[in-house]
Order: sequence, then structure tokens, then C-alpha cells
Amino acid sequence: MSMTNKTVLLVGKSPLHDELKELFGESGYRVVPEPVREAADGVRFAIEVTNYDLDLKRATIEKLDCELPPDVPILATSLAVTATEAASWARYPQRICGFGTFVPVAERGLLEIAPALQTAPAVVEQAVWLFESLGKETAVVEDEVGLVFPRILALIVNEAVFTVMEGTATPEDIDIAMKKGTNYPYGPLEWADRIGLDEVYAVIRGLHRDLAEERYRPAPLLRKLVLAGRVGVRSGQGFYSYQLAAAVR
Amino acid sequence: MGAGIALVCARKGHRVRLLDANPSALDKAQSYLASTLSKEVAKGRLTEQEKEEICQAVEPVQEIQRLASCDIVIEAVSERLDLKKSIFRTLTEICRQDALLLTNTSSLSVTEIAGGLDHPKRILGMHFFNPAPVMPLVEVIRGKQSGEREAQQVYEFAKELGKVPVYANDTPGFIVNRVARPFYNEALRILQDRIAPVETIDRIMKQAGGFKMGPFELQDLIGIDVNFAVTESVYENFFHDGRFRPSRIQQRMVQAGTLGRKSGEGYYEYDK
Repeated sequence: MSMTNKTVLLVGKSPLHDELKELFGESGYRVVPEPVREAADGVRFAIEVTNYDLDLKRATIEKLDCELPPDVPILATSLAVTATEAASWARYPQRICGFGTFVPVAERGLLEIAPALQTAPAVVEQAVWLFESLGKETAVVEDEVGLVFPRILALIVNEAVFTVMEGTATPEDIDIAMKKGTNYPYGPLEWADRIGLDEVYAVIRGLHRDLAEERYRPAPLLRKLVLAGRVGVRSGQGFYSYQLAAAVR
Repeated sequence: MGAGIALVCARKGHRVRLLDANPSALDKAQSYLASTLSKEVAKGRLTEQEKEEICQAVEPVQEIQRLASCDIVIEAVSERLDLKKSIFRTLTEICRQDALLLTNTSSLSVTEIAGGLDHPKRILGMHFFNPAPVMPLVEVIRGKQSGEREAQQVYEFAKELGKVPVYANDTPGFIVNRVARPFYNEALRILQDRIAPVETIDRIMKQAGGFKMGPFELQDLIGIDVNFAVTESVYENFFHDGRFRPSRIQQRMVQAGTLGRKSGEGYYEYDK
């Protein structure tokens, strides 16, 4: 597939936004932000990345669907809702395709793509092509909240948060234990702080809402930290405090 | 695992009494020590004399009474509560009141092992990871009646052995075996719901997640039966909390005897 038009419209509130913007820029794409109307002509792909605020996500996808020509694919993160649900908000659902990962994107060698039930096969192919043009591998998986990696990691974090909440162990000891006892690349709580607790919580809350099982019950402490704005490195505090590091920088 | 822990202690200069009622198990442990240390000598990490000294430091014994004068006792028998309880009952009777009596259990309650015994402050968990000479982590488990000073002593002892200790209160699976459950269980659930096949899930967890092995490769390595037993134990001990519910796929693998690498077939096929 060749692509002379390299304009990508990128919208949404998520730490993924700035990282994808940088990555697209490095790969030679022109990245345009909101408002949609001015940029609508000539947009080749739209990418939507909100995960925590689902009202905003829905409003954004409705607006994109309304203002972009029907043949422009809209790739929306399916971390907190299924791609099928996101597509149900659109008048042209066949152009919506799910994808997702956690930041930092630079550390991710692979991005997951999850077509909605409504997604046209050609849109999936274009999504694969787009992400591979960024130098990433792709894996196409069936559509469920959180895809594969974000879902599994979010639930590991959730269990670690229950363990902290009950006073079974400290965040430091849990992180050490998972790195030294089972070779995890990061401890789950320091990892969650880097991803953003709001992003992790969005996945668990989405699974709990859609699958309605006790298995996906979010740890109350995680929810409270998000409500308190202590979302990790980004806000200076999560399970650890980052004020010192910020001051040094 | 007892032989591995004995090796860790002896290498740091401790005198070890290695207890097993079965003499052939003691013979096996001694040849394990000798062969492991010979490899170290071959690699130039130990001299022949150091190897001899370490081997000499481990004295095989067959009667539990021989442990009466020990400062620290580490129990690493099979995971049977009745067996562990009877051992600790005897240890509390024969050992000094200030001797640390430690269990290497990974799935039983330290509180229950110590329950009803004299001076329970000195009874704690000291959970090594297999193989003990290689894995750096030691979980120091405080039972309900364990003493704080005693917990600190176990923590310092683990550090002195060159290990990385962490503290955990006595809860099912402690830290690692609990927090790691979703790595396997959620991967199995994703497989069961046909979100992605085995190879794809493993590839995603390695390339997107940065894990060294995928959840299915790792189960094949550990043994699917072993992994399933840990999940079942954590599930039972959390009173069937849905977060830990075992997978039917894993159960069928165990029932079929396709247990991973050791049986030549698990989620993947291996040369037998």
C-alpha cells in the first residue's frame, strides 16, 4: 500500500497522545490536532486515544465520524471500551478499528489491533500498515476491553494494589519481589506509576463494567488514587513520590 | 529444595545439619552438593579446598533430635500441613526458645503451622524460590503470632546469605504467588474466550510487555500441574474469590497429563 498523503489527525486525552504524536512525527507524518473541521480535508487517518473519560471519548468519536469523509479510518483505543462499542457510536461504523497499548510507546515493540465486529477488512489492513510504518510489529486480536497486554498487566497491577491496600506488603517490597522472584521487567506498582494509574484503572473498570464479574473488581485504593489525581510519575505522586526527581530535573 | 537451601547456607560459612529420615535422600543431597560445587570449581569460582570445606560443613542427620542445638531451623518438607505441624511441634519442644523456626512453605499458612505451639514468636516463613542457589528473592513471612524482632532477624539472615529479602504478612500466596496469578490466569481467560491463540499471547507479552517469557511458555517450563496447584491453593485460601478462579483449560491439560516440557507436550510440543 502506498500513501502519498501523510496527514494523521490525532485527538484524545491520554499519555498516549503526546507519545504517538512524537512517533508519527519521527516517521514523517504530518500530525494535526483538533479542531477537526479545519483539518478534515486531506486527513488520511484519525487516531483517538481517550481512555479514562468515556463521555469525552464518545463525543470525540461522534464528532470525528460526523466531520471526516466516510472513507477515513478512525483508529480508537480499545483499552476501556470494546472497539465494537466505539463503532456503535458512529454513523459509519465500518471505519472504526480498535487498537491499544500502554506508554511508554518507545518501549513497545508491538502494538495490538482489535477490529470491531463492524470494522471493514480493508480498514484492518490499513491499521496494520500504518502501525508497521512506525517501525512497530502488530498483532491482530479479537475485540475485548484492554486487548491482551494492557488487560493482563492491568490485572497484575490490580492484584498488587489489593496487596498494598490490605497491608500485606509495602509497594517497594512488592516491586522487588516481582522483579527478583519472577523476573518481571518492572515491579507492578512502579510500572503502573509510569503508565498512569488512570489508564490502568480505565482498563480494569472497563472489564468490570463489560464482563460484570467479581474477577475484575477494581481495587478501591486504585480508584481513590485516580480520583485524588495521584496518577503516578506524570502528576508527581502515585504509589511513589516523584517530587525529588522533578526538582533535580 | 532442602539441599539447595543447605548449599546457600554452607557457602556463606554456616555449619548445616541436613535432616532427612530417608538415608537415600541424604545421599542424593550430598551428591547434588558435590556435583554443583564441582561445576563451580571447573569454572574457577571455587578452589578444590573450598569445595571440600563446604561439603564438610553439611552434616547429614537422620534424627530430628540432632537439630536441638541449632540456632536456625529451616523446614522444607512437602506441602502437607499435618507433616509440617508435627515437625514444628517437635522443634518447639527440643529447640531453644530463642532459636528461629522457619518454614519454606509456599502455599500453607504460617499462622496455622505455628498455631497452638509454644513460643510462636519464633516461628516464621522463609520462602526461597526454586532453585534456591540461583533465585535471589526470599519472602520473610510474618504469621499472626510471629515476633517483629524475629522477623528482622530472618530478614538480616537472608541478606547475609546474599539474598534479597522482602517482608509479607501471612496471606494466601504471600506476594509473588499471588500477584503473579493474573499473568497466567488472565492469559488463560483470554485464550478461553478466543481473543487470541497461545502463540500470539506469548508474542504480545514478550514484544509489547517486555516479559522474558510468555505466560504459556512459562507454564510449560514450570509444569502446568505445578502452576495449577498454586492457583487452586490461592483460590481455596481466598475463599473462592473470583479473581483467582482457576481455568478449565489448565485443568484439562493436567487431566490429560500434558504438563509442559517435562512430559514432552504442553501448550507447545517438545522433543521427549
